[in-house]
Amino acid sequence: MPVLTDLAALAQAERADLPPARAVSPVRRRWRRALGIVVPLLLVGGWALASGREWISAGLLPAPWTVAEAARDFFFGERRTTLVGVVAFDGAGWGHVGASIYRCAVSFALAVVVGISVGLALGLSRWVSDFFDPVINALRSVPLYAWLPISLIWFGIGEGAARALIFIGALWPVLIATADSVARVPRAHIETARMLGTPRHRLWRRVYVPSALPEIVTGLRLSLTLAWMCVIVGELTGTSTGVGAMMNAARETGRIDEIVVGMFVFAIVGYSADLVLRMLARPWVRWADT
Amino acid sequence: MSELRAVGISKSFGAVGVLDRIHLAVQAGETYALLGPSGCGKSTLLRVMAGFESADEGRVELDGRVVTRPSPERGMVAQAGTLFPWLSLRDNLAFGPREAGRRDSEQIVADLLAATGLADFADALPRQLSGGMRQRAAIAQVLANGPPVLLLDEPFAALDAQTRLRMHEWLRTVLVARETTTLLVTHDVDEALLLADRLGLLSARPARVVEEIPVPFGGERGRHTLSDPSFVRMKAQILDRVLVA
Repeated sequence: MPVLTDLAALAQAERADLPPARAVSPVRRRWRRALGIVVPLLLVGGWALASGREWISAGLLPAPWTVAEAARDFFFGERRTTLVGVVAFDGAGWGHVGASIYRCAVSFALAVVVGISVGLALGLSRWVSDFFDPVINALRSVPLYAWLPISLIWFGIGEGAARALIFIGALWPVLIATADSVARVPRAHIETARMLGTPRHRLWRRVYVPSALPEIVTGLRLSLTLAWMCVIVGELTGTSTGVGAMMNAARETGRIDEIVVGMFVFAIVGYSADLVLRMLARPWVRWADT
Repeated sequence: MSELRAVGISKSFGAVGVLDRIHLAVQAGETYALLGPSGCGKSTLLRVMAGFESADEGRVELDGRVVTRPSPERGMVAQAGTLFPWLSLRDNLAFGPREAGRRDSEQIVADLLAATGLADFADALPRQLSGGMRQRAAIAQVLANGPPVLLLDEPFAALDAQTRLRMHEWLRTVLVARETTTLLVTHDVDEALLLADRLGLLSARPARVVEEIPVPFGGERGRHTLSDPSFVRMKAQILDRVLVA
């Protein structure tokens, strides 16, 4: 296509109008990341000080070094044989963490599939939305603990009930985020795609999902966090493995140090899972960065 | 080259009449500008021509064929631009050809990037481009499908005066080179006179075409045309008529 305009001059003039790049220097980025470690260090330092000076009773909150010893035993201690149904602690850490992660991952994956599928249907069709919206909003208002008795009856004590509870907890954020963001995809995007030749049946893949993806990812992050939080509720239903099961057993034997180890495990795994999810999603949502 | 016609198009939103039996014919390869007061229904007419809205009465014809739905053969660019914010410039330009299953989409994109002077920004996201670049890219995105008809709804209204003038010069050369049948909606008389071969003046709502005026300037138009005495005189006359309409 021949063009008579001096495009080089045009481009030169336009470069001055470009939005400023928001480049952050690597040194500054490292500093900002380092700031995130300051608060946890201060908290542990304060905790150590309070324990050392006996401002806090060891019966209420053991010292950090006591918890560190329990953590060492949990992950690296000698494995002891326990009776069937008794939750092991020493040397059983990796097994419990693995069991919790697996339980969470299976239920979370199912919640993502169901949540995104139902969310898409709700967001794409006004008719489906009018039909199901009241039921979904009513169901998501039911507290997780209210699902506990019926889960135990339907799925039995243990694994089935645990997975069902994690699934229910993780379902709503991703479902609502998908439905809401798909319903709010700008009309201009849809019209442009139609004009450029996208048939109606391909719009969901070419326009709706990519346009809604940043909010869907936010929903996924909330769902993942909730799924991980629900693991402990699920593991209260009588599973013999999992971090929640270990913490429940520790509560029965009054081992606060083991309970605190479990809390740390939940925090570290939950934070890491969110970090991984954000890293995986980043290439698809970087366009929405402000 | 294709001929685009509006035949007796009327459109109301509830009790508000917006278009009143609009008749117009854009000849093959011609650029036709519709001028009218703000809110008179110019954009609604263009949306009907594009197939985004249906007419209450009348029809849109392309080469004598009635057309009703959006299609790659009538590419429309709006004021706010039509780029997909999640796609790079390259992928935005390739969107239409890929939807059509074209195997030469990479070549089409390369040609358009060169023709728009945006080759250095092929991998940039739309938000990383300036306003002028974005609008040029939006026009290129539509041109990638090789549409016989281009519908432009105040495409440069959001740009500053200098950028707008550069865009007018660029677009004029593109339209002349490609001989695309173009219907342009604008309230900017300079824009209409710099780009169009013929003008249609619309009345206030409900809009009717009250007058059609041929534009007597030659093929090459640009900043030098703005100071041409005949351009200045014609602009004043048209402004008078638009303000009366």
